[in-house]
Amino acid sequence: MQPFTYLRPASLDEALHAASEPGTSVLAGGTTMVDLMRGGLAWPTRLLDISHLPGLADVQTDGPVLRFGALARMADVAENETLQRAYPALVESLQLAASQQLRNAATLGGNILQRTRCPYFRNGVSDCNKRVPGSGCSAVDGEDREMALFGTSESCLANYPGDWGTALAAFDTAVELRSAAGLRTVKFSEFHLPYGEDPAAETVLRPGEIVTAITVRATPAGRASTYLKVRDRQSYAYALVSAAVALEMEGDMVTSARVSLGGVASKPWRSPEAEAALTGRRLSEAVSLEAGEAAFKGAKPRRQNAFKIELGRRVVARAALTAAKRI
Amino acid sequence: MDGSIGIPVVRRDAAAKASGAAQYAADFPHAGTAYAALVTSKVARGRITAIDTMAAEAVPGVQMVLTHHSLNEGLGKETFAMKGGHMQSSFMPLTSDEVHYAGQIVCLLIADTQEAAEQAAGLVAVEYATEHASAAMDDPGHEEEPMEKKAIDVGDALAAFAAADVSVDATYLTPAQHHNPIELYAATCAWRDGKLLVNTPSQWVKGKQAALAEIFGIPMEDVHIESPYIGGGFGSKATLLAHTVLVAMAARRLGRPVKLVVPREAMFTVGSFRPATRSRVRLGAKKDGTLTAVLHDEVGQSAVIDHVAFPATEVTARMYASPNIRTRQATIATDVNTPGFQRAPAEAPGFFGFESAVDELAIKLGMDPVELRVRNEPERDPVKGLAWSSRSLVPCFRRGAELFGWSKRNPEVGSMTTPDGLLIGMGCATATYPSAMAPSSARVRLSADGTCVVYCGAHDLGTGAYTVLGQVAADVLGVPDELVRVHLGDSTLPSGPVAGGSITTGSSGAAVHMAALAVRDRLLAAAGDGNPAGWSLAGGQVIGPDGHGRPVAEVVGAVTGGVIEETADWKPDALSDDQMRAGLAGGMAFAGPTTEKHASYSFGAQFAEVHVDPLLRTVRVARMVGVFACGRIINPRTARSNLAGGMVWGASFALLEESQVDRPRARFANTDLAGYHISTNADIGEVVVETIHEDDLVVNPIGAKAVGEIGIVGMNAAIANAVYHATGTRVRKTPILVEDLL
Repeated sequence: MQPFTYLRPASLDEALHAASEPGTSVLAGGTTMVDLMRGGLAWPTRLLDISHLPGLADVQTDGPVLRFGALARMADVAENETLQRAYPALVESLQLAASQQLRNAATLGGNILQRTRCPYFRNGVSDCNKRVPGSGCSAVDGEDREMALFGTSESCLANYPGDWGTALAAFDTAVELRSAAGLRTVKFSEFHLPYGEDPAAETVLRPGEIVTAITVRATPAGRASTYLKVRDRQSYAYALVSAAVALEMEGDMVTSARVSLGGVASKPWRSPEAEAALTGRRLSEAVSLEAGEAAFKGAKPRRQNAFKIELGRRVVARAALTAAKRI
Repeated sequence: MDGSIGIPVVRRDAAAKASGAAQYAADFPHAGTAYAALVTSKVARGRITAIDTMAAEAVPGVQMVLTHHSLNEGLGKETFAMKGGHMQSSFMPLTSDEVHYAGQIVCLLIADTQEAAEQAAGLVAVEYATEHASAAMDDPGHEEEPMEKKAIDVGDALAAFAAADVSVDATYLTPAQHHNPIELYAATCAWRDGKLLVNTPSQWVKGKQAALAEIFGIPMEDVHIESPYIGGGFGSKATLLAHTVLVAMAARRLGRPVKLVVPREAMFTVGSFRPATRSRVRLGAKKDGTLTAVLHDEVGQSAVIDHVAFPATEVTARMYASPNIRTRQATIATDVNTPGFQRAPAEAPGFFGFESAVDELAIKLGMDPVELRVRNEPERDPVKGLAWSSRSLVPCFRRGAELFGWSKRNPEVGSMTTPDGLLIGMGCATATYPSAMAPSSARVRLSADGTCVVYCGAHDLGTGAYTVLGQVAADVLGVPDELVRVHLGDSTLPSGPVAGGSITTGSSGAAVHMAALAVRDRLLAAAGDGNPAGWSLAGGQVIGPDGHGRPVAEVVGAVTGGVIEETADWKPDALSDDQMRAGLAGGMAFAGPTTEKHASYSFGAQFAEVHVDPLLRTVRVARMVGVFACGRIINPRTARSNLAGGMVWGASFALLEESQVDRPRARFANTDLAGYHISTNADIGEVVVETIHEDDLVVNPIGAKAVGEIGIVGMNAAIANAVYHATGTRVRKTPILVEDLL
């Protein structure tokens, strides 16, 4: 850690003004930011606490667009009854994340900015292009069981760790970003960056911008949805593989499918291949497994993580069958 | 309330811990404290060629930077505990430019605030001349070093194995693991008038006292170790850790108390760990299941800096009746900090392979695995022919099978399912742990206010020593539980042994018992004006020959000074008086588990039911049943918790725990609690524990055998055996992960 100035703005306007100063990081729930600072992975000179600002925690689940204020807490949103009924995948992604204590504190806006759990990034010592650009990627010849299969490069094999973000990727989601210059909205699919030559760049968030809301276009597919997470232990563990599936069906015929994958990619990963394999088909165990296979066709396994392809095939299949039961 | 032996007295420390009143080592305030932070080595082997501390020293508030240049002072002759010293390792960081393992301390920063110390630590630049290193024993190029002294040969096991009707020959792996107590390592060292006070979580206050006295060249009585509570130790806090010495040195030079709390990541390198093992087990049997050959070759990960082994083979050799037994032990030296004691250091890894192999043999024989174990129950210790001081393994299996519902198990693989379609697997395994004993002192004081106070330099790891040692005194003196006080975990108290090897209740309990008897004798003599004849104790009363009672407190009040206090030194019979004295002065003096006449072990039978998702292949432990025979149970409540805790850890061992090795850089990789998985509540289903009473006065006068570690032993194999029963996949390594079953 290094010394920093703690700022507590009185209003969003004041916050946006303060955020434009170089070296400023935003503090909301603190579950990620404090962790990063304690671990020597973030070194803000100014910490801008927005956790108390009014209006940023509102959640609207009626109407054509669902709107989640960036400061809404994971635990609170997981208890939203409309969401539980109409978008179980979103609720399950929140319920299966972290621990109850963390969910009580963590915010939805901060959650999508969660950084990878790659041990080489986190340990503060190993060579890591994400932490020290140009130093190399230790995972390339090191422990790679938890590394990603999609969206990686020889510069970085790390995984996007979030559950909420993975579930959001299955829907038409957007992120509202505010700065002193005004508001812009970014499609969620374009918010995170795959890890190419510059793995330190993880999102399109610009200096001075604050995530203020996440929006999801309402869809009947939300009802027949699920988020399935397989992990080494039953609680407080990141996904080895997870999948969100949302379906629209006529009888047993899938008319529209949305599939996203977690634990296997450098960013929340939509799988049009799996969606295509489901759409227009009568859902069966065989078809669901075909979709799972399609989802992982382009996977690039390493030494220890190839099992995620077979596991992922089954996770997608199980999630599709579970989602279909909710029609 | 009656607080005597056998009563499930609630832990004396429970309310203080639940309310936060209990002071752990890092909670003791000292005026003027300075704070320390560590810099640890990025490389695993080599030399420090340059260390630039200028930027660190420029941080406001930094008081001292300790490196191998600035330490520049010898640190005595102290050495590794298993070489006769008290240290976690014989290698002392900062005494040279050598680097022997990744995460080794290379610099200590001291500042007015924790924040300044940490900031400065981040600014120290170290350059290394790096050499090739390996932290995994199956890396290429390693050679096994046999330990000939540990070899056991009975009969001709190789020939018997070759001639066996049915045989199993398989190799099993367990990984390195770390203790990961929730309470981090911590040390606050304060010097006053040449005397050193240390607040540090300790399973061995006397050993640390002796070591620090040796290192700083001061009398033992000038070192005071305070450790009333331990927030999880599991063996990691037994020996003196290097950073405590460095903090004490910094405090002496600075003339201020210095406090260090080791961050989680460094917990993986500045202390000890459970080393990886490889066990080849060969079992030969007749068609009826009678064992004819038992062979166990175990290789354990060791360190270049300390040759160390924890041979399970000494225990597995004694497990079953066989005319032919052969065990071999070897080590492989790796570039790691010295491995050390971690709950059942030998048995937990060794029994995974051994008890998995017994299960494999049962399957080959087409025999029930419980019956195979019962068939081979030995009358006497199969290695030396010694009598068991007590051994109730068969009753444990019979009772365990009944509690578990073993008779409902269909032995066919994959034949059982839950109503929602999960595969059910049921497995069992034997658990055992040696009942060794060590010398201990204790003082018992009865006062006119009715209180009974026990003083003993033993340790409560959170498992109940405060409670059970008080019960031993209450049992002799008839004092109600609410008037019993117990003081532990302080080097100024009468000497207790290291809290290791599951010896505290038996050893310190025997000393408390002895002291309490002496107090009782004086009490009865006082009541009878010097003649105790005809006087007895009952219900808090001293009963005279005429049947009339006087309250104990009244009799004590009439004694000069108003207290009756006695101190006793107890030793196991097998130790000499000299060995006792050495032990009480902070040495390691163990007797058993085998002596000239007896072999003393606790035994248990463990059962597990797992549920496996047929598609996703995830495993969940639905139920565990353990029945144990550990002599006399002093407190059924604390014993149950201790045994259940061991079983939970066993499940964690089977399915979760592994310190992954980043091989190219010879580092442990998953060095936080997000990456190093231990069981959560959600991972553990029902846990059923029972004990079977045994009268065993061979082990000690209170008849208490080992409880602390046996719970973990065998649980990993029981789960692996259950996983096989559910899936037909035999996984011969831990942790058993989803990819092993896909």
